[in-house]
Order: sequence, then C-alpha cells, then structure tokens
Amino acid sequence: MRFVVCVKEVPESIVVKIDLTNNKIQDESISTTLNPFDQFILEEALKLKKDEDKVIAISIGTPQTKKILMKCLALGADKAILLSDNVFIGSDTFATAYTLSKVINKIGDFDIIFCGQQTVDGNTAQVGPELAAHLKIPQVTYVESISKFEGKKLFVKSQTDDGFKIVESQIPVLLAGIPPSSFTPSLPPLRNIIAAQNKPCIIWNFEDLGGPKDKYGSVGSLIQITKVYYPPPREKGIMIVEEPITAVEKLIELLTKDKVI
Amino acid sequence: MELNFTEEQEMFRESVREYCQRKIAPVALEMEKTREISIEIKKGMAELGLLGCTASPEYGGSGLDAVSAGVIGEELARADPTGSIPVFYLVQAAWGFVLNKYGTEEAKKEVFPKVIAGEYFLGIATTESDAGSDVGGTRTMIKKEGDGYIVNGEKMYISGVREAAEGGGGHLTIAKQNPELGTRGMTMFYLPLTADGITPTYIDDLGREGISCGGFAIENVKIPKYYIIGEENKGFYIVHEGYEFARGLIAVICAAAGLKSLENGMNYIKERKCFGTAIGKFEEINFRLAEHYTRLIMLRDLAYKSLWTIDREQQGKGSRFETSKAIAMAKMFASDWACNAINDVMQWQGAFGYSKECPDQAAWRAIRSFALAEGSKEMMKMIVARELLGKEFIAYK
Repeated sequence: MRFVVCVKEVPESIVVKIDLTNNKIQDESISTTLNPFDQFILEEALKLKKDEDKVIAISIGTPQTKKILMKCLALGADKAILLSDNVFIGSDTFATAYTLSKVINKIGDFDIIFCGQQTVDGNTAQVGPELAAHLKIPQVTYVESISKFEGKKLFVKSQTDDGFKIVESQIPVLLAGIPPSSFTPSLPPLRNIIAAQNKPCIIWNFEDLGGPKDKYGSVGSLIQITKVYYPPPREKGIMIVEEPITAVEKLIELLTKDKVI
Repeated sequence: MELNFTEEQEMFRESVREYCQRKIAPVALEMEKTREISIEIKKGMAELGLLGCTASPEYGGSGLDAVSAGVIGEELARADPTGSIPVFYLVQAAWGFVLNKYGTEEAKKEVFPKVIAGEYFLGIATTESDAGSDVGGTRTMIKKEGDGYIVNGEKMYISGVREAAEGGGGHLTIAKQNPELGTRGMTMFYLPLTADGITPTYIDDLGREGISCGGFAIENVKIPKYYIIGEENKGFYIVHEGYEFARGLIAVICAAAGLKSLENGMNYIKERKCFGTAIGKFEEINFRLAEHYTRLIMLRDLAYKSLWTIDREQQGKGSRFETSKAIAMAKMFASDWACNAINDVMQWQGAFGYSKECPDQAAWRAIRSFALAEGSKEMMKMIVARELLGKEFIAYK
C-alpha cells in the first residue's frame, strides 16, 4: 500500500506581524510548526501502515518547510517531497489542490490520501475536498479514526454535528482528518530524529511537475487576497463595581439599552 | 563563521521542549516535597531517548555528541527549577560518555540498556570526605584478587545514591590501585550499588530535592574484571574527560536556569507597579536585567563553545588541554552569574521571591551547587591559569 499525507507549515502562534504594504504575514517574524490537524492524520496513516507499506509526506512551501517534513520523517514517514518554486507562490486552496494533485499523480500508485481537515492559519477546510475532486476519487471528511481496513475496503469514524457516523469506502480514497479531543501529538524520540536524516527528502519544482504554468500559484487561483489587516482593537469594557443586587440591575439596564436582551 | 545549531539539534530541542512543557514544568516544584523524580517522568525521558543519550546506538543509545547533549540539558533546566532532572540527566549523559568510550563490551551491554530504559541510574563517585576536587587525595583502594578485584573505602557527597542502591545501577568510581604512583596509580571502575558490602548513607542537600545525595561505605566489595573502565592506573586521566563533559553541560544548565529566571523576572517587573509605575522602568532594576542577560548570554555561548571543543577533540581536531581550558572557562563563573541573576529576580518579586511558592528560590538553591559540583570554581581558575602559564606555575607542585 502507498499512503500520501499532505502537510502544511503553519505559524506556531496566532500572534503574527503583518506587512501592511504587501498584504502578507511577515514570515521572518514567526516561528512555524507542523499543522496540528496534519500531524494527527499522519499519525493515523502511520497506525495503518504495515512493514511493506510506504508513507510519503508532501508539502508546498519554501526551503524552510523542509523542517516540518523532517518532523514527518522522524514521526515515521518513509519519504518526503517538498514542492518549492516561486511559481507556487500565492496559491489559493484551488491552486494548492491542483499542485498537490500533480505531485500525487507523478508519484503514481496511491491507495489512500490523508489530509488534515483544515489548517490553523487558513482554516478553510477546502484543500482536501478539492484535491479529491482533482484526483477524481471519493473522500471522507471529519475523520476521527480508521475503524477497519480490509482488502480494498475501509471503515472510518467521521464526526457529525451531533455525534459520529461510520463510513465505508473503497480505496483509493481521500481522508480529511480532525483530531478527537483526546489526541496528544506524539513527540519523535532522539533516535528517530537521527534516523530521519537518512530518509529521502526530495525537492521538486514547477519543472518537475510540468503542466500549464497558469494553473499554479496566484495566476491559477480563483481567489485573490486584496487586503490583510489586523482586527480592530477591542473596545474598553465597562466595569460594574457595586453590590450584587445593584450590579445586576445596572447590567440589565446596559444590556437592555444595547438591545442585547 | 557560523553559530547555528544543526537541523537535527533544532529537532532535538523542539521535541524535548514540548515534552518538558507537557510533563516536567507543570509538576517540577512538587519534587521539593516528593523528593524524587516520578517514574512517569523517568519513563517519558527514556521513551524520548534522553537517558544515557551519549551511548552508542548498538547499546540502545543515540550516540549524541556534547553539543547535542547540551541542547537537551538546556531545555530540561528551563523546565525544572529544582535542578533535579537536569542533574539526573547530565550525570548519566557525561558518565555514559565515559562508559561508552572506555568501558568493556560486557559492561556496556550489561549497564546501558537498563540506564537507557530508565531502570538503572549511572552516576559518578570520586568525592570522599577528605578528597573532592583533589582527586589525588582519594583513599579508597582497589586491588586485584583472583579473576576480579576487591574494593574498600568510602565515597561521600555523591548524586543518585538512593536511585542506584534501591532502583539498580551504579557509579563509575575511582580508587587507588598503586598508591606509590600517586595519580598515576588510580583505576576507574563501575561499582554497582546493589553489591554486597555497600552501605549507603544520605545527606539532606540545600536543593535539587528530586535526586538523592549521599555516600556509601565500601567493604570488601568484589567486582569482575570487565567492570574496569579503560586501563588500570589510568583512572585519573579518564575521570577528567567525564568531568569535563559534565562541566560543559553544567555551564549550559546554569545559563538556561538563569535566563529562565530572568524571563520570570521580566514578566513580573512589567506588571508590578510601585508609585504608580511598572518597576521595570526603574533603572536600578532594568540596568541589572540588562547586565544579567548579557552575562548569561555570554555564558551560554561560552558553554556551547566548550562542548564544541569536546566534540572537536573526539574528532581528533583538538587537544586535551584546549578542551580542559575551554571547559574550565565556561564553568568558572557559571554558578555565580546564574545565581546572581536569580537572586535579583527573587529580590524584584519582594516577599513572594522569598517564599517557597516562588520557583526562583528553588533554582537559586539548585544552581548554587554548581559552584562546587563536578569541580569547584576555584579549581576552574587553577586549570585556566595552568594552561596560560604552564605546569611549573601550579602552586601545589
């Protein structure tokens, strides 16, 4: 079996600096990490992996993104592919999914594609479903765990608004995973970090993928970001310092005035 | 010139830091009362590969070099203000390095797997009641008998006595085999503290409550030949390699503990107001902060450089004496500078700083030990002066 896991480098903190002139997050101002949703689904893939299976982690980013792919290798992936080229810059979810589909088709025979349900920076939850569409394979989203995998048949536990459902699918399939609240990301032990240095981590660019250039990056995107800005500062609150009964009366008065109640 | 950690070292740091934040920092101060490192933490450290990390992979270790070992020590020191876990770690990393380099195959195969699994403790025992930094003053004796050796004597102020005596493991120990040869007649060996003839005693230290300190009497303890570390009569020279590894780690740990304390202090002085103004605005405080920070960053840089000299020496690119000097320079002020910074942070926090609830007081008590442990600061000065002026200027010769 061959499993492909799509991962993304994301800011470690929600506090980021924005370059207001270029509408971009200042990359140099932030430390980055592996998207937690992606680490969860990678670990699900690794649980499923048998000795003869291969897990390939892929990501689009800058040369610095290799860092998170090395983490994937230390966690147990067998191979990593980084897609890095100026052509890929400015990709929206559609162009990102297209780029990933080109890589996966280049890799060839795949059985399961694993994606995090969403990323902690963009939070769109669109790349997985769009990638499945590009690859023309079925998809299951909000996957919390894989219940059973027999032959070519897969049973997964998928979260719903009011509980969960068990979904059966044939492979190849794309699974978009969301960690249950009990999930604690694994930490790679030192010996696995050392072993990761000897695993293949290759870099591909636009030339390696081929295809029309205008399908990639900002040119191939359906969405253009026109403005990035800080949210307006929160207004100063009103502190009611009174005895409880008076305080409640004042609170009701204020809430009524603002038409909250 | 490049001053960067390798990608691998950064990954070590990330993994260890995350582990420390999750498992060590939230419970570290409890060790002041429990007086032990919990089994859960030992197991977690073992799973991550932190224990005996300098042992070669064939014995189950990660074969870490000194700088990488320093990265781990730094993260542990940031997380545990009591200093217990950093000591538990550094002793086994440094003396694991010696066992790995000079121990016999049989000893390594017997000891390392259990140390790495967190079951055994591997320590160092050179100090005696009348012989500390002056290792040549050792009175414990080792003599050949049949296929093995018999050891008699006593050791005192040794870290991890309870851990090895009750949990298993032992200490790399030094004794005189040919007293007439002075320091050239000393032999180093592995001494299991569970052996017949070992009687432990315990000392209540000022800090580092999570790891025991004590001594043990050694009465006619038999050890097999394969427990000898390196060649007979070469123990005095071998022991200094271990000490230097440990001293470099201590220097990093002191810098990390001091810087962590300064972080605590900065959070406090930005918030705490006096006469309506944040006390961090007062120059009496922020000038001191600037000075401490600068000194501790200098210390950290020098500490890592000293560990780098160990790695260079192991690669055949540096001399024993260059390493000794670099290490002694790094450790010389490590405890003083870190303690001074922590002491000021305690002062800034007023009465809270003097309470047991304040983590900085635990850090101060722990870091104070390193002015003595693994070679006193006075000895560090002696080493540097010896390297600058030559052996003929050693006062005691």
